Amino acid sequence: MTTAVDIRDVTKIYSPDSSQAVTALENISLTINDNEFFTLLGPSGCGKTTLLRLIAGFEQVSGGEIMLFDKEIENLEPNRRSVNTVFQHYALFPHMTVADNVAFGLERLKKPKAEIKATVERVLTLVKMKELGDRRPNQLSGGQQQRVALARALAPSPKVLLLDEPLSALDLKLRQAMREELKQLQRETGITFVFVTHDQEEALAMSDRIAVMSNGEIQQIGRPTEIYEHPANRFVADFIGDTNFMDGEIINLSDDLVTCRIGAQSLFETENSGHHKVGDQVTLSLRPEKIMLSVLEGHNDANQRLGKVTNLIYLGNQAAYSVDMGDGIQLTAQARPREDGELPFAIGDSIAVSFSTRAMRVLAE
Amino acid sequence: MSDWLPKSPAGRRWLGLAPSYIVIGIFMLIPMVIMAVFSFLEPNPYGGVKPIGSWAAYIKIAFEYDLEDKLVFNPGYLNIIWRSFQLSFGATLLCLIFGFPVAYYITLQPENRRNFYIYLVTIPFWTNLLIRTFAWIIILGRGGVIEAPLLATGIIDDSLRMMYTDGAIAIGLTYSYLPLMVLPIYASLEKLDFRLLDAASDLYANRLEIMTKVVIPLCKPGIIAGCILVFIPCVGAFIAPNLLGGGKKLMLGSLVQFQFASARNWPFGGALSMLLLSVVVIALIFYARAAKNRAALEGSA
Repeated sequence: MTTAVDIRDVTKIYSPDSSQAVTALENISLTINDNEFFTLLGPSGCGKTTLLRLIAGFEQVSGGEIMLFDKEIENLEPNRRSVNTVFQHYALFPHMTVADNVAFGLERLKKPKAEIKATVERVLTLVKMKELGDRRPNQLSGGQQQRVALARALAPSPKVLLLDEPLSALDLKLRQAMREELKQLQRETGITFVFVTHDQEEALAMSDRIAVMSNGEIQQIGRPTEIYEHPANRFVADFIGDTNFMDGEIINLSDDLVTCRIGAQSLFETENSGHHKVGDQVTLSLRPEKIMLSVLEGHNDANQRLGKVTNLIYLGNQAAYSVDMGDGIQLTAQARPREDGELPFAIGDSIAVSFSTRAMRVLAE
Repeated sequence: MSDWLPKSPAGRRWLGLAPSYIVIGIFMLIPMVIMAVFSFLEPNPYGGVKPIGSWAAYIKIAFEYDLEDKLVFNPGYLNIIWRSFQLSFGATLLCLIFGFPVAYYITLQPENRRNFYIYLVTIPFWTNLLIRTFAWIIILGRGGVIEAPLLATGIIDDSLRMMYTDGAIAIGLTYSYLPLMVLPIYASLEKLDFRLLDAASDLYANRLEIMTKVVIPLCKPGIIAGCILVFIPCVGAFIAPNLLGGGKKLMLGSLVQFQFASARNWPFGGALSMLLLSVVVIALIFYARAAKNRAALEGSA
């Protein structure tokens, strides 16, 4: 597998000589493979956009190096790097038509006129904007501007396409539609996509791999399922999806099971990942959708308990229940409404709560 | 509501605007109409006009009566007008060359410092133009600020004769009106979305192309406004031409001033002013057209 972008030990400090020095990135290392849809995911201020701007060349690294297809690019101006960016607010040139915007990069590369015309038409067709080539950006809707920005960045056939929260300004329906289109576009063009977002759903839906970032550091890199199912730490588990956290202590280890004590005497069993020893204080994560709620105590799961519904939030296709398990343990679980639309439990009901030993994760601190 | 107020909203609007109309009428329109009327009258040798209608003032711009009282073409005044436009064009160009980088630099400053720089740009307006132009005599003059050290160090051994040249006039005009170029360009640059520069750079534009393809087209309205604001007063200027040009190389402004102050030919001065005014109005109409086309092209959807 070819490496498209190799980020080695990169540090970025803003205004390093002043008293207000800000470390945006600290010793970041990651490799992005060719033909990969790679997402940098994290809350605002985590350094993901800074990393993108370093790859694009708008900022200079303070330490470390960035390689693009095995070539050092540190001293190259943005206009000498064969990467293109889809900007967060599109940054379309307002004084040019859609077609001129798309042709801009090709013209700077001094491509022949005929080739420019053909490429502009091809990429505009690709993003379904062929009919609107004569329009000005401010005559377009947000979604259309988004497509033009994509076409403009794709036209020069960059080796890597950088996307800086491109969907954040769109409304929900359009955002969901564009997710699929972006993914499809990436497959069709075979271009490496580096996608920056703070929206975990976007990241899970589109990415081949995700790097979760926080405070200028990478928390975890992995496929969407790995990130979701096996979060490396509390931050990742919290940031990706909803989860229940419980603080506990490991009191017993067997070959494949870990027994944790939570609260005063509640014991839970979970799979042994081999990283812990007896006596460790750990955080356990349990996703709400992995918890089964039932009226009868019929299940034989190891972790079956009794609980009491303290609150519920109706969400249409499901309801989120707050369940008091006693011993100071509160869990959030999900249940679907019955076929007639009625909710299975009401506030105050006593219910059975169960989950498999494989559902609970012991997190590294 | 009192009964005497106009009933319709439009009528009320007119009433509300009435004070401004009166002020503009008194301070702008009436003097202009007087000037226009005077330009069609005959001059009174002791100043003022005689109430006799005449085209003489306008004819005088391009023709003169020879000894046999026949009209012959005389390009003398036309040459002065042409020279005025040339010098004003030169000064406008110099203002643009010096003003644009200044405006651009100010735009790049942190927000809290920009206002301070703009304030610095306007400082020259605080003193009299006459005094400031005199300062240039000290700078450019024989043995002045520029010449003295060069003479003393032996780099030159004779005066550079910078005073009383077209160059001196152009420098004086540039100096006088530079802020009028900086301010409108700054106003349009300030609205520029600097992310567009990143985008251009990302799309393989070098620094020159970023300027010519993105920055300049986007602040064109400011550049045009600045050019008009500089060019018009340059054509009508008389202080710089009189002081730095020595009064021998006349410009349209000095010619007009001369007609009122010394030559006592008010109608001719009026006719020249009307000519200047029409040029300005035509220029502004073209500008308005261009701006309108532009607005239509980029029209909001």
